Amino acid sequence: MTLVDWLIVILRVALPALIFPVLVIPLTWVERRGAAFIQDRLGPNRVGPFGLFQAIADMLKMFTKEAVTPANADKPLFLLAPAIAAFAALSTFAIVPYGATLKIDGREIELIGADVSIGILYSFAIVSLSVYAIVLAGWSSNNKFSLMGAIRSSAQIISYELAMTTAAAGVVLAASSFRLNDIIAMQMRPMPFVGFIPQWNIFIQPLGFIIFLVSAFAETNRLPFDLPEAEPELVAGYHTEYSAMRFGTFQMAEYVNVVVSCAITVTLYLGGWSLPGFHPESILGVVISILILAVKTAILVWIFVWVRWTLPRFRYDQLMRLGWKALLPLALVNLLWVAAIEMARMAR
Amino acid sequence: MTIQRLVFDAAGLIAILFGGLMVVARNAVRGVLTLVVAFFALAVCYVMLLSPFIAAVQVIVYAGAILVLFLFVLMLLNIGHMPPERSGRPMQTFLGSVGVLVFAALLLGTLRGAGAAIPATTGMDPAALADPASLSRQFFSEYLLHFEAVSVLLLAALVGAFVLARREKKP
Repeated sequence: MTLVDWLIVILRVALPALIFPVLVIPLTWVERRGAAFIQDRLGPNRVGPFGLFQAIADMLKMFTKEAVTPANADKPLFLLAPAIAAFAALSTFAIVPYGATLKIDGREIELIGADVSIGILYSFAIVSLSVYAIVLAGWSSNNKFSLMGAIRSSAQIISYELAMTTAAAGVVLAASSFRLNDIIAMQMRPMPFVGFIPQWNIFIQPLGFIIFLVSAFAETNRLPFDLPEAEPELVAGYHTEYSAMRFGTFQMAEYVNVVVSCAITVTLYLGGWSLPGFHPESILGVVISILILAVKTAILVWIFVWVRWTLPRFRYDQLMRLGWKALLPLALVNLLWVAAIEMARMAR
Repeated sequence: MTIQRLVFDAAGLIAILFGGLMVVARNAVRGVLTLVVAFFALAVCYVMLLSPFIAAVQVIVYAGAILVLFLFVLMLLNIGHMPPERSGRPMQTFLGSVGVLVFAALLLGTLRGAGAAIPATTGMDPAALADPASLSRQFFSEYLLHFEAVSVLLLAALVGAFVLARREKKP
């Protein structure tokens, strides 16, 4: 490999990982101003134009505050927990293609961190590790509220992971591949009978899409499923004892998780970077394909914000009942439905 | 020695080291955490052996689900530090030493044979095995009986656990 090859690899891997922490700045702005908009007030509007720099001010504040470690905390694990959270949040995106194939000087550059054969399974593996961040934070803090948050979270994430992976199994079955590149290619084909609609998975398996989205809310600990940090009962749940940038790391991880799970949902169900009738060849086309993914993701992120300030929090038993008695059986029904469609397609 | 071999050896060493730490850990939660590290290192070994699918399943099922359930139970019951084991158990010490000796002999034998070429038992291309599609095709054709037998075994274990944990109904 030449130096240029190495540079290309480093750029295509590092760029998405570096851009997500930066995305947190506009996202917190959208969240706080969006909340204010929904609740009929103004929200932070003093720092910078429209209050856009509020997040930067908050970040500077967190960097300069004192980081307190409780006397009876398990210190190594207490410090490890936010690191795991950041690691898991930033590495989940590696298998998502973020644009069409770039062709420069006879080189074909796939815009994806790592095109591995297990594709989406890699993301699920990382997500299943991210639960340790919350569990460790709760346990090592040596605080009742933190521990309660950690216990709730471990049960919640495992329960919803089942529904989420079963829903995603429908997509894998339809594309007969774990690779997200193959899943996008499958969705670029026109629909049989109604050719003008793209074959996006949301149209073929809407039930699977809804289950996946609801599970994504639970996996990212967002309202209405933010039981691990329910402030009226648990102070701040698992991160009660965290201060300064250690708390900021958890906060950043949560927002990155929201963006990444939206991007994965877009790729699995909404055609990823593709649009019907759009076949990017030039560099401009590739840039447009990246923008398409960004816009689709932004729309879903706004739905996350919208839901957060609209729905009340579930009770814990309601949360468990929804996960095990509603979402999981429905995900199995969805899987049967996709299998039936595939059987019909093979018979034709 | 290639970089792959180096990563494989390092991951294997970490897996063994943390597996050992798990056995001697006096704190139950820390014991589970060392096991997580060991499982993760094992997954790295699988990746280096060209089996990313097994690596992913290893992390999702063992590290991500089963050990989280262990932690959940430990935290729910609030099992903290275990008191140090009291000495004066000659029988256990003797049996334990025999076990360690047998294990050491096996380990030595394996290490001495490590340089030899591993005979191909299946005659399959290792790179083709890495593909999840061909792996599942194997599962549902050649190894279907084994696959189903294991699933029945797991079901039996599940039912057994349920029967043991169930409260007896008073007549």
